[in-house]
Amino acid sequence: MTATSPRVRVESNSVGGHSASNTRSATRAVHRKRSPSGFVQWQVLTARSVWTMVRHGELVVAVIAPLIFTVGFYLPLKFVMQLQGIDYAQFLMPIIVLQAMAFTAISASQRASAESLSGFNTRLQTMPVVGAVPLVSRISAGVVRSVVSLTAALGFGYVIGFRFSAGIGQAVLFCAFALAISTMLSVGADAIGTLSKSPESTSQMLTLPQLILGMASCGFVPESGFPEWIRPWVRNQPISQFSFSMRDMAEGGVSFHVLWPSLAWIVGLLVLFVPLALWANSRRS
Amino acid sequence: MSTPTVETGGQVSRLDFPEPNLHFAENSLRALWTHSLIQCNRLLKRWARDPSTMIQALLYPALTLLMFRIVLGNSISAATGSPSVYGTVPMIALVGAMFGSIVSAVGLKGEKKSGLLSRFATTPTHRASGLLGRMMAEAIRVFATTIVIVAVGMAIGFRFNQGIPSAIALLLLPIAFGIGFAVMVTFLATIAGESPLVEVVSIGCTLLMFFNSGFVPVAAYPPWLQPIVAAQPMSCAVDAMRGLSLGGPVLVPVLQTLAWALGMVAVFLYPAIRGYRRAAETG
Repeated sequence: MTATSPRVRVESNSVGGHSASNTRSATRAVHRKRSPSGFVQWQVLTARSVWTMVRHGELVVAVIAPLIFTVGFYLPLKFVMQLQGIDYAQFLMPIIVLQAMAFTAISASQRASAESLSGFNTRLQTMPVVGAVPLVSRISAGVVRSVVSLTAALGFGYVIGFRFSAGIGQAVLFCAFALAISTMLSVGADAIGTLSKSPESTSQMLTLPQLILGMASCGFVPESGFPEWIRPWVRNQPISQFSFSMRDMAEGGVSFHVLWPSLAWIVGLLVLFVPLALWANSRRS
Repeated sequence: MSTPTVETGGQVSRLDFPEPNLHFAENSLRALWTHSLIQCNRLLKRWARDPSTMIQALLYPALTLLMFRIVLGNSISAATGSPSVYGTVPMIALVGAMFGSIVSAVGLKGEKKSGLLSRFATTPTHRASGLLGRMMAEAIRVFATTIVIVAVGMAIGFRFNQGIPSAIALLLLPIAFGIGFAVMVTFLATIAGESPLVEVVSIGCTLLMFFNSGFVPVAAYPPWLQPIVAAQPMSCAVDAMRGLSLGGPVLVPVLQTLAWALGMVAVFLYPAIRGYRRAAETG
């Protein structure tokens, strides 16, 4: 319904605007003069993507994935970390959220890949669709999924004992920060998906950096738990920096000194990914 | 052996098809053996040439093992007092066996869908050779995964401290475990139809990976969870393999592992045969 009703209204408006005595010529004029409304197109395409996610059960996956990671790491490692004096629920929360955001990005790449392979993108390119709209609507659908996943992750976190103790402002910042990271990753993943030839191999390819960056970060284990030789890399890689910032946002409040490397990573990767995604979506194959 | 050469349009086909001169009955034991070997060979070649299978069955387990060692190794070894590799090497070998089975089950669903199974069913082969050949191929794949994982494990401190017979037993144990699992997944794949049954199994396997005695010792889990963790099949196999390498009780965990494997085969073999036949007849 959302797909048709705005278009009907646009049509009747323009018929009114260019009303001619002859209805047949008016109809023809409508076809010539209709100008695309990017906003309506964005709405329609976003609703389509979200509906596909609902139908394929992706939102269920978005809830289950953080659940498995929460219980899978918390229950076995709680005791081990207690010996090092770490409140593991509080410690683990950022990486659970970040993993959930990474899963969103991987599914974004699969969707982009599927739409590119099925010829959907090419079809949209032949139609009067505003250039960036397909990309932006896929990203918006990804944001919907991220919100679901983030809510679920925080809910599971509360069950195991995670608390926002730095005030509501920092809690909001925590959520906004997570969504910003997920959006940034989704843009990059969308570009890779659009350029790739196979959804399966794309997600397999992206699982590798997720595994390596996610595991070898200060998200699961403090830096002191790593062998000496790998510590500098672990400390400075983006996922660790993100987890430092988010841990402070949940407890004690984040200072600019801790936050700026994360911000630099996000802005830097956006500067890289956005043009790449726009180029991937506008090139003709 | 005179290879039939078909001369069409000047081109000589050099395909090495077996000569149709084996006159044993379709349901004879010799037919079962020969045809199972052909099926096994086919699957192994197929997996070896498919990058996604190789990645899933060999590369990811090896990387996960390295990751567990680097990320959690020091913390777990410090907390438990014994090197963590003796738990993680068996665990990852088993996980590799399970995820490899899942990939091959997805492939089986594809073969059903594309009609390949039905085409096999129309050939004069032994009815059981499809399933038996698949299980033989699974066994070889699990063995290969175990060898690779143990080799990577040797590089990060895993050692056979109990002599050569124990080492051989350690390498063979995952095969028993893997066959039990493969029979179950084959059953699920052949009855699943369009539903993502096989994919759901991978979620269960991820959970098993976190809740077994190879990740951290059973005592580190919350008390209410400990009996479940200790009794699940992966824990039994991990304990047995740890006993065979580091030292410790061997007989009881080995018997438990075999009981799990045989139990799974006993429960799922008949449904798997039925499912396989139906998939071949209706696909």
